Amino acid sequence: MVALVDANSFYASCHQIFRPDLEGKPIIVLSNRDGNVVARSKEAKELGIKMGQAFFETKELVNEKQVVVFSSNYELYGDISARMMSVLTQFAPDVEVYSIDEAFLQLEDYTGVYPTYKGLGQAIRTSIRQWLRLPVGVGVGPTKTLAKVANRLAKIKPECHGVCVLETQADIDEALWGFPVEELWGVGGRSASKLKREGIRTAYQLRDVNDDWIRGAMTVNGLRLVHELRGLSCKLLEVNQPPRKSICTEPGFGKVIPDLDNILDALTTHLSRVCEKLRKQESLCGAVTVWLRTDPHRRTPGNGLPAKQYSTSVTVRLPHPTSSTLEIIRYAESGVKAIFKFGYNYLRVGIMLTDLVPADYRQVGVFTKGPDERLIRLSQVMDKVNKRYGHDTLRMASQMYNPEWPMKQKYLSPRYTTRWEDILEVK
Amino acid sequence: MIETIDFIPPEDIFLVDPTRRKDIPYFDIAVSAGFANPADNYIRERLNLQDLCVPHIDCTYFVRAKGESMLGDYIFPGSILVVDSTRPIETGMVIVIWVNEGWCVKRYIDKNPMIMLESSNEKYAPIYLHPDRDKISVLGEVTYIVSKPPRYGRPR
Repeated sequence: MVALVDANSFYASCHQIFRPDLEGKPIIVLSNRDGNVVARSKEAKELGIKMGQAFFETKELVNEKQVVVFSSNYELYGDISARMMSVLTQFAPDVEVYSIDEAFLQLEDYTGVYPTYKGLGQAIRTSIRQWLRLPVGVGVGPTKTLAKVANRLAKIKPECHGVCVLETQADIDEALWGFPVEELWGVGGRSASKLKREGIRTAYQLRDVNDDWIRGAMTVNGLRLVHELRGLSCKLLEVNQPPRKSICTEPGFGKVIPDLDNILDALTTHLSRVCEKLRKQESLCGAVTVWLRTDPHRRTPGNGLPAKQYSTSVTVRLPHPTSSTLEIIRYAESGVKAIFKFGYNYLRVGIMLTDLVPADYRQVGVFTKGPDERLIRLSQVMDKVNKRYGHDTLRMASQMYNPEWPMKQKYLSPRYTTRWEDILEVK
Repeated sequence: MIETIDFIPPEDIFLVDPTRRKDIPYFDIAVSAGFANPADNYIRERLNLQDLCVPHIDCTYFVRAKGESMLGDYIFPGSILVVDSTRPIETGMVIVIWVNEGWCVKRYIDKNPMIMLESSNEKYAPIYLHPDRDKISVLGEVTYIVSKPPRYGRPR
């Protein structure tokens, strides 16, 4: 059996940990530069605030209904997530961290320790509630897909008290009977409409389709899904996740920017972060792609017509794989300079590092000498200094050309668990 | 004049882990020059404060105390409290608890069906709460208190 444990409205719940007065209140969390809504508490969802909605669109509702607003506090979320995953390993040693707030647990060999799966689920739920002050839901099923189904039911059915176990065939039949296909794990909008055209609306119907037909309609992934619904495990627990094949970021500037200097400033800042991630997973990158985009919703002030649009990208292949910020930034900058066109108001710069190879990979090119080991080591020293003394203590000279623009988080909350200066104060 | 060498009993010598600087206690042991350390073979344990104060690393919160209501329990303004959330709350424990509109640190006394929160400073009256009427939420038990000793005697 497999259990899926996930936290209810994780980001919003993290803010409630140290603010019990906010329990039961509508809370929204904003994206990096306070641009869009990235998370909502249950109460905020009920007010009709949409995921990804622009913050300015919600302002009226926020004032009227006294919605509590927070800028995203990824340091807090990351630490609380790490605590949750670590606590879960006490219940079952094989834990797959599926996302920041979800984990699969392999329960097969521990039936003796806990009398029932329901009891185990309740134990996980009450422990995490007391120890980490987080509300979680638990779904248990014979396969990962069925555990996902169970987890979803645990959330919507109040009589489950947050724990739903699909153990017998009768349990599974009942759960799948009214379960809409589009809410199944791995069924996207297009597959869902394809299935619906064939009259398949529930997971129960999907389970009994013909193998060959589903393989034709939804490739081998669809077949796997159907097998998982029947109780045959096709998706195994990935306890040690493979390093990522590419790293990508596309931050907005927070306002439109027309000039190259500011764009290069943003590029340096975000590239430094991305390179830090690259070194953290011990990889080197072989190519860097950069792109620029204008704001598709912008209208020209004055005449109100849609503004001129420009969007293009360029990929720069590095002479040798490297993880040094200094080297990568040289190529990324030349890429941005090549695609930059004067006369547009830019909204975003995107960065993607691709062709990642492990850090111990060395292949000296015919015409080049290979990466400068000293530069890589220098970057590692920068990482260490920045980890100890805070982000951007050591940075590129081209960074922070304009010290105003990265500060656009108006609703920051304390990082209660990771900074001495931010810890909780009591009377 | 003391003529004998002031040996350190080997069981009193511990190795401190140099890689975890933040966590280690400070040992300033004068070593008698020119005399081989007879305890060399006994140094095994490495100590850090984390092991002593934080048994459940994922369920522990650090909290800064303000105010003087708990002076009698050695909690001074500015003390750092180590709060463990894994233990069930029992009468007599010093706990960190949310009461209606803020967090506070108090001694917990169960007066079924009421709860009494006691300060250890006579100037502060005990607080009586009812679980149904008041909004309360327990963070955990204070297991250790980290304070600096005052430089010129106790305040007051």
